[in-house]
Amino acid sequence: MARLARRLIAVAAALGALAIVAEGTRAQTLVNLHVRAFQLSLDKPSVTVGEPFHLILHGHVDEGIDALDNVVLPNLAGLEDLGDERRCTRAKTGTDCVETLTLDANAPGDRDIGPATLSAIDATTGKPRNFDSNIVSVHVTGQPKVPAETPEPNPLTDLAWWAARSIAFLLLVAIALWALIWGLARRPHAVAPPPSAPPPPPAAAPVDGWETRMRELVAALEREPTRARAVAVRAALRERVGARDAETLADLVARNAANGHGATLAALSAVERAAFCEEARVVDAVREALPFLNR
Amino acid sequence: MLAALGTTIVGQRGTLEALLYATIANGHVVLEGAPGLAKTLACRALAAAVGGTFKRVQFTPDLLPSDIVGTRIFDQRSGEFTTALGPIFANVLLADEINRAPAKVQSALLEGMQERQVTIGPQTFALPDPFLVTATMNPLDSDGTYALPLAQMDRFLVKIVVEYPTIEEELGILDRFGGEAPALPAGIASMDDLRRWRQGARAVFIEARLARYIVNLVAATRAPHAYIDRGASPRATLAIASMARARALCDERSFVVPDDVRASAPPVLRHRLAFNYRTLTENLDAETIVAELIASVPVP
Repeated sequence: MARLARRLIAVAAALGALAIVAEGTRAQTLVNLHVRAFQLSLDKPSVTVGEPFHLILHGHVDEGIDALDNVVLPNLAGLEDLGDERRCTRAKTGTDCVETLTLDANAPGDRDIGPATLSAIDATTGKPRNFDSNIVSVHVTGQPKVPAETPEPNPLTDLAWWAARSIAFLLLVAIALWALIWGLARRPHAVAPPPSAPPPPPAAAPVDGWETRMRELVAALEREPTRARAVAVRAALRERVGARDAETLADLVARNAANGHGATLAALSAVERAAFCEEARVVDAVREALPFLNR
Repeated sequence: MLAALGTTIVGQRGTLEALLYATIANGHVVLEGAPGLAKTLACRALAAAVGGTFKRVQFTPDLLPSDIVGTRIFDQRSGEFTTALGPIFANVLLADEINRAPAKVQSALLEGMQERQVTIGPQTFALPDPFLVTATMNPLDSDGTYALPLAQMDRFLVKIVVEYPTIEEELGILDRFGGEAPALPAGIASMDDLRRWRQGARAVFIEARLARYIVNLVAATRAPHAYIDRGASPRATLAIASMARARALCDERSFVVPDDVRASAPPVLRHRLAFNYRTLTENLDAETIVAELIASVPVP
């Protein structure tokens, strides 16, 4: 058992060392770039389950490059990657790089995709920086995908599968036992919990944090139609559409018009009036904005 | 008004908007662009649309101040001096290729722009109200020109960079004006309308956070910068606020929003910054640097 543990530790250490080397290599290959654009977009804001759509990552840099390296693509959980195409075109004004991922969704619902991250040395400051793209949303309708039918059983394959599962199970049991013994041996004088301590409450169902916060902010704005409340709602809406610090409403509209954020942008436009109008008109402006916010 | 100007000028929406906002903000305009981009026509169309008088002066190296402001002429019959007023006495004066005239002529014009009056001999004459100077500069032929000092450029509320039209716009130009002089819009508004718009613009509200945003934008030009030797003055702060107010008024709002400020900043700032030699050696243009500066300031 101890030998097995030592081997496991050795393997983990080797993997760790590899990761460090890989990280070091990545950091060394960062290039100086004037990044002018780094954006995600979708060719369709709404699709049905199984319908292919394109996620397009567009980057523009002032430099002449052959490929945009050090890009971390967004998490595509719940989506199936059907293909990936990369292309860089040089022009007088720099290089345009476009990566097009063909995806389809496994289940219905709204999915936020992004941000993608480009790591480079920002040529304007000379410092390494992560350039984050915007977040795009796709609305998926239809029925969830039915798993493919099980193929005819093959006795040989079944036997191999059973053996592999047994070995994996035994390995897991061994690791768990070793961890338990190691943990008990290192454990200090533990204090027993009080016998009357109530059991912890069951874990809450997963709730979209932003929507809950938004509902609370809108309710507070409805109760108390002040500029400060309107500013808070505006900040939450900007966060929803992935606004950067220096982006105005016009930028957000231009960037997200095709991404299914229409209702959010309409609400943002309405609440912006309440955030910047004359003091005497704030209450009226909030009243005009509420129908957009309650959609 | 913009639609009326659009009947004469194809495309150039940004130029026409900036021209109109600057007119409402009671500021003078310098237009920079290659020859043949309808800079002169845009100024003529604006003057015609607001029903004002329009005069054009082609600036040349042999121009004299009296060619701009006017002069005193001795009348032999009456034995007295009479005053002949120069072309500066117009509601819209187009100073074409302003950088081709020597400094004394530029100064005569710029004094009138600032003081809104000129002195000829012993007499002082008030300039018409509204009084708008639109000056053009050609960025390509710099031989034999007298570059305007930064202090004089600061007198212009905005500098508008006129770009080449798109292919579609150029097709529109060919279709609309093939061989014929374009008709100017007339009777769209009056001088009284313009005065009323100016009064309305002054009443447009700027919320405290937006006022700070304007100040932060101008302050960003004064922070140590790799390509900027000297930043913009508080006159730029006032200019951005005026332009933002005019833009809000044209959008039928009684208050300014961040987009008004952000859109007003480039034309106000681009001619007020002193760029150092590195912009030349690294082949950078003012537009890129100003855009980066603006992008570095968070929107409230």
